[in-house]
Order: sequence, then structure tokens, then C-alpha cells
Amino acid sequence: MNQLWGSMEQYSTVVWHWPIAVYLFLAGLSAGAAMTSLIVKWIEGNGKPPWDGLIKAGALLAPVTICLGLFLLIFDLTRPLHFWKLLIHYNFGSVMTLGVLALFIYTPLAFIYAAIKFKPWLFETGPFSGLLKPFRGIVDSIGDSPVWLERTLFLFAVIIGIYTGFLLSAMYSYPLFNTPLLPILFLASGLSSGVAACILFGLLFFKSEVNEKNAKYLLELDLRVVPMELLLLFALFVGMYFQGGDKAIVAVQALTTGIWAWVFWGGVIGVGIATPLLIAVTALKNHAYRVGYILLNAWVVLIGVIFLRLYILYAGQTFVG
Amino acid sequence: MAKKYGMIHDNNLCIGCQACNVACRSENQIPESVYRLQVWVKPEEYPNGTLGYEYHRQSCVQCENTPCVSVCPTKASYKNVDGIVLIDVDLCVGCLYCVAACPYQARYVHPVTKAPDKCTFCHESRLGRGEEPACVTVCPTDALIFGDLNDPKSKINQALSTRVTYRQKESLGTNPKIFIVPNKKGGINS
Repeated sequence: MNQLWGSMEQYSTVVWHWPIAVYLFLAGLSAGAAMTSLIVKWIEGNGKPPWDGLIKAGALLAPVTICLGLFLLIFDLTRPLHFWKLLIHYNFGSVMTLGVLALFIYTPLAFIYAAIKFKPWLFETGPFSGLLKPFRGIVDSIGDSPVWLERTLFLFAVIIGIYTGFLLSAMYSYPLFNTPLLPILFLASGLSSGVAACILFGLLFFKSEVNEKNAKYLLELDLRVVPMELLLLFALFVGMYFQGGDKAIVAVQALTTGIWAWVFWGGVIGVGIATPLLIAVTALKNHAYRVGYILLNAWVVLIGVIFLRLYILYAGQTFVG
Repeated sequence: MAKKYGMIHDNNLCIGCQACNVACRSENQIPESVYRLQVWVKPEEYPNGTLGYEYHRQSCVQCENTPCVSVCPTKASYKNVDGIVLIDVDLCVGCLYCVAACPYQARYVHPVTKAPDKCTFCHESRLGRGEEPACVTVCPTDALIFGDLNDPKSKINQALSTRVTYRQKESLGTNPKIFIVPNKKGGINS
């Protein structure tokens, strides 16, 4: 306490810390992985078992990462034992409530979708096959390609990917959050992290089941999404600058001041966007299939997206005009 | 008819003595190191070179259009019939969405309940007994005026009719019910 009126510790504008950034990353990755898995599954010829390793990777990643993220979120509450009140008390004007409701639909669908993709392991070869036997009938009755379940899962994956952006953009106390482009940026980067995670996971754990053609298709998809992220970031900052006043000041500060400017230029742009583009035009030129570089590419995309979430969360709360 | 409580902070009368800050802490038993109310004293220089002071009441401004209530997922943050923004601790999960969404940094996490806490216009203590908030009662210069904005005869409405006032961050459309009488001497940025 060094001023007349007392300690000013409580007035820090940084309220949400790294667990929130990691949750935003995991939720985006989960949604992106679900979308990726479905995109590959919907390619002609991939629609029935045995499933491609990339389809399986996405089907597994989607429910696992969303659950990890939600655990992190619950333990980050200041009153974690009261978290169940979020599940039964709603405020339909709050993005957080809308997120909870979307997760109510998304999470079980992601689990059912994964169960279909891992049916032999779950009910025959895996260690829990005895325990899970009673559920076999239910999963069998859904079939291998439940059209409406898959379409609904895809729709809700988009909703989950975009809600994480609206969660932040709803707060007009922070100019960097409060922009219409943030939800789209989060959706795009969520998809790119989902694609990267599917490639990485598929090639590491289901390598023999991955069809080279599908992996190349996903690499191409990522090569389209990553430049889109760059464009969205460019439009976001230039747009803020042209809005003038506090927004212009915040846009300039966020790109030029302190540690978060370094994270942006080095981590988000350098690692997450420039490196994959560089790999694409050099090592993977003409759609060469070099697994080492493909894995490296997936890693840098994932790290870049974590940096993006950390950067937006912290820079957004640090620079308030 | 429901009341609509509001307050005026007159920058010409305030002397930054913190009597309001102290009274708030004692009357509402605010734990150490957190504050519902502070008065920030900022030295300024007038265009002619004379020294002057600006006084900022740092506390909840009791918005009519409440960002904190809008974002709260469980409706733990709410505005009561008298227009006072309050927190139902029992419904709160501690997501701190309200703390982040408040453009006035009015909220802090209560060290015991771990739920956000803030100025309540002494709703739970003095107001219920028909008394004015503690800060208003102790102000030695009468820089604070409290009352019902729905009652044309109230002290606050009399003052609002005769003094020039503004509200913090009006461009956000939050419609605060704390009105500030700016420094008459001029030349100082608000």
C-alpha cells in the first residue's frame, strides 16, 4: 500500500489467466478435429469401415480434448464445487450459458461418433470389452454412417468453434476482444489446429491405417486455412486501427508493446503462420509426401494456435486503451 | 412505485480525504486488501500553470444497462427492483466473467466467499434501515448526494437540475447512475 487510498492490487485488468487460453485452444481443437474427421469420412470411398487412421484420430481427439478443456475450466473457477449450478441455471443472454447448452449436445455426440469409429476395440479387442458389452446393441443400432448424427455433430462443432470467440467478443470492456472478426478467427484457427492434430495423431498412432491421399487432402486444406488466419488477423488489426480512438491505440499497443508483441510476431506469425507456409513451398513442394516434414508442419501449426489463444487472451486484457 | 437509486459525486467539493473509503470498509466489514470504494487523487496542472487535483470515485457506477448482469451465466449477478446491481453468492460459480466484463473495474473477488463483491449502496445494511449509504453519511464536504431518481422532489433530482454532470464512459451505453460534477476550474481532462 503506497498511496493514500489503499492497495490497488484488485484493479488489474487481467482477470482470466492461462487455463482459459488453454481451454479456448482445446475447445477449438476438439471442434476442428470433429470437423476434420467428418470431412475425411465424407470423401467418396471413405464412408465405411475399416476407417482411415485420420478419421479415427479426429473421432478420438474430439471428445478427449473437449473433456480435458472442461475439467481445466471447472478447476479454474474460484468456486469449483459450485460448478453444477452452471448446468441448471441459465441466462440466455450470456454467451457462457449458450456455450454450456451447445456443449450439452456436442459432447455426447462426439462420444457416440467416437464409439462408432472404435467399435471393434471397444467391444471386442480392448480391455473394457466385457464391461461395455451391454452398450454394443445401442451402437450397432446407430449404424456406421448415421447421416443426421454426423450432420448435427458437424454443425455443433462449428458452433463450439465460434462460441469461444463470442465468449470473449461479448465483453466491451476489452477493445481487442470486442471485434466481430474474433469468432471467425477462432473458428478458422480451431479448424487448422484440428487438422494438424488429426495429421499428427493419425500418423503417430494409426500410421498403417492412414491413406496417403487423405493425408495430402488435409495438408492442402490446412494450407488454405492458415493464410485465411493471416488475412483475418490483418483485417482485425487494420479494422481496429481505422475505428480510431481507444481501439486504434489498443491495436498499435498490442502489436508493438512488450512481451505480448513478441509472442505475436514470433509465436503467432513466425511459428504458427510463416513456418507452415515456408514448409509448404519448400519441403512439401508439389505435394511431396515426406512424413518428417508433415509431422513438423503439424507441430508448428498447433504451437502457433496455442500462442494465438494466449496472445489474444493476455494482450486483450492488458491493453484496454 | 419502485425506486431508482443514484448518486452524485461533486468534484468541486471532494477533497480526497478517504472518509467515504474508511466508512464503507467499517460499515460493510470489507476484508483487508480489497475495496468497494476508493477515491483516487490525481495531481493535475491547469493551463496557467497552477496546481490542481482531480478526484475519481473508483467504485460501482450502478449501470442501468449492466454488462456484468448480461454476461453472468447463472443470473447470480442481478439488478434489484430499486436499480441496485447485486450478487447472489449462492448462485455464483466464480467464473469471473462479470469481473472481466465490467468496464469500470468495480468488482473484486471476496477473499472468503471467493465470489465477486462490489458496492451495493449499503443495500444489505444501512439502506434497509432507511439510512443513506455510509460514504454519503460521513462525507465532510457533502460532495456525495444520494437519492431516488424516480422522485422529482428528491435531493438528487434537485441537484441534477442545478449542476452540470457527466457519467463515466458514456459512449459504452451502460447508463450509469453515478453522476459526476466536473471540476469547474476547467482545463483538466476528465
